Amino acid sequence: MARRIIFALLAAILIAVMLSHARSSVPVTAQTQGVYDAIAALDSGAVVMMSFDHEAATIPEVGPLASAIADHCFRRGIRVIGLALFAEGNAAGHELLARRAAAFHRVYGTDWVYLGYRPQYTAAILGMGESIRDVFPADDDGRSLDSLPLTRRVHNYHDVNLIVSIADGSMPTYWVEYAGARYHTRIVAALSAVMVTSYIPYLGSGQLAGIVNGLRGAAEYEQLLNAPGAGARGMAAQSAAHALIALLVIVGNVEAWRLRRRSPKWNRKPS
Amino acid sequence: MPALRDRLTVSVAAATGAFMVVQYFVNAAWSDGVYRTLLDWMQIIFAASLVVGVISVLRNHLSRAISKPQERWYSLILIVSALAMSLLGFAFGAGRGSSFLWAFDHLQAPMQSTVFSLLAFYIASAAFRGFRARSGESAILLAAAFIVLVARVPLGESLSGHASSAADWIVNVPALAAKRAMLIGIGLGMVATALKVIAGVERTYMGRR
Repeated sequence: MARRIIFALLAAILIAVMLSHARSSVPVTAQTQGVYDAIAALDSGAVVMMSFDHEAATIPEVGPLASAIADHCFRRGIRVIGLALFAEGNAAGHELLARRAAAFHRVYGTDWVYLGYRPQYTAAILGMGESIRDVFPADDDGRSLDSLPLTRRVHNYHDVNLIVSIADGSMPTYWVEYAGARYHTRIVAALSAVMVTSYIPYLGSGQLAGIVNGLRGAAEYEQLLNAPGAGARGMAAQSAAHALIALLVIVGNVEAWRLRRRSPKWNRKPS
Repeated sequence: MPALRDRLTVSVAAATGAFMVVQYFVNAAWSDGVYRTLLDWMQIIFAASLVVGVISVLRNHLSRAISKPQERWYSLILIVSALAMSLLGFAFGAGRGSSFLWAFDHLQAPMQSTVFSLLAFYIASAAFRGFRARSGESAILLAAAFIVLVARVPLGESLSGHASSAADWIVNVPALAAKRAMLIGIGLGMVATALKVIAGVERTYMGRR
C-alpha cells in the first residue's frame, strides 16, 4: 500500500512540475564551466567532434545537455562533426544536430557533418586517430567526405580541436585512453548523472577538460548561454523528486526509530 | 585437432597482442599499415559478432516462446519487434524521414526512456522502506547520501549555503579516494590479463575452461 502511495505521489509531483513549466536556476559548477571554457576558447571555424555514445533510454537526460553544447558551438561559428559509437545514439545524434543547426541557419557540409555509426568503438576511436576516412569513408547519407567542404580538410584528430563524448556509460574512458593518451586530443564529457562520479578522477588528472553533469549540468550550461530550455525545466522536476525522496528518507527513519523504541528486537529485522 | 586449434588460436592472440604493444613505439610505414589492417579487422569481426548475437537472441526467445507458456508473450513481442525493425531498415532504409527512424523516435526511444525512468519510482520506494540508519556505519552512509541528494538540486542551496561545498567534499574526497583505488586496481588487472593472454596463460576467451 505504502509503495502505491509513494508511486502516485511521485508521479503527481513530476507531472505537476512539468505541466507548470517551472524552471530552476542552479549555481554553475567548475565541471560545467570547464566544458564551456573549452568551447569558448576555440576560434570561429574550429572543429568540434561530438560523439553520441548513449542509448535511447537516456535521450531525455542527455538530449538537453547535447543541445546546449551544440548551440554553443553553432552560436560561435564552430564547425561540428557528429558521429555515434552506439547504434542507438546514431539516430538521436543526427536528429539533434540537424535540429540545432537549422535553428542557427548552419549549412550541412560546410558548418556541420554527420558521419553516422561505426561498431567496435576501440577500433573506431584508434582508427580515426590515423585517418577518419578509414573508419568513415562517407557521411551518414553516403556522401564521400572529400565532397563536403568541412570534412575535405579534416583528416584525423590533429584537425579536430575538441572531442565531446555525450555518454551514459563507459565510452568517455575509451576516448580518454585511446584518443587522449595516444593522440593528445582535448576531450570533454557530457554525461548522465549516474556516471559522473566515475569520471571525476579524469577531471582531476586533466585528462578531461570538463564534465556536464546530467540535467543539472544542462541547466547550468543553459544559464551560461543565457538560454533556459529543457535542462532548466527538467531540473525543476528533478528538484521536486529529490525533495520528495529526502522527505521519504526522513519519514522512513522516524518511523523505524518509533518502531524500534516499541520493540527492542526490531532493529535486527528488516521492516 | 582441438589441441592444434587451441595452439593456433593462442599463437594468433599472442602475436597480435605483442604486435599492438610493439607498434606503439615503432614509427614505420610497415607497422602503420599492419596496425590499420588490424583495426579494420577488429571492426569486421565485431560486426560479424553482432549478427551472431542477434541470431542467438532470436533462437533463445523462439525456444522460450515454444517451451515456456508463461513467458511466451514477452518472447513473441521481442521477436516480432526485432524482425519488424530489421524489415523497416532493410526495406525502406534507415536515413532521416524513414519509417525505421519514425519507429525509433516514436516507439523504441519512448519505451526505453519509460523503463529507465521507472528507476525513479523504485528509488523513491526504496528510500522510504530500505534506506535506514540501523547501525553507526549505515548512519554515516545515510547522512552522506542525504547531503549529496539534497545539495545536488537548488533545494540544498536554499536550505544552506554550505550544502553544496559539503556535497562536493563528500564526492571529491572520500568517494573519489575509493573510486581511484578501484580504477588503479582495474588498470593493473587489465595489464595483467593482457600479459596473460599474450603469454598464452589466459585462455577463457576461447569459450572453454
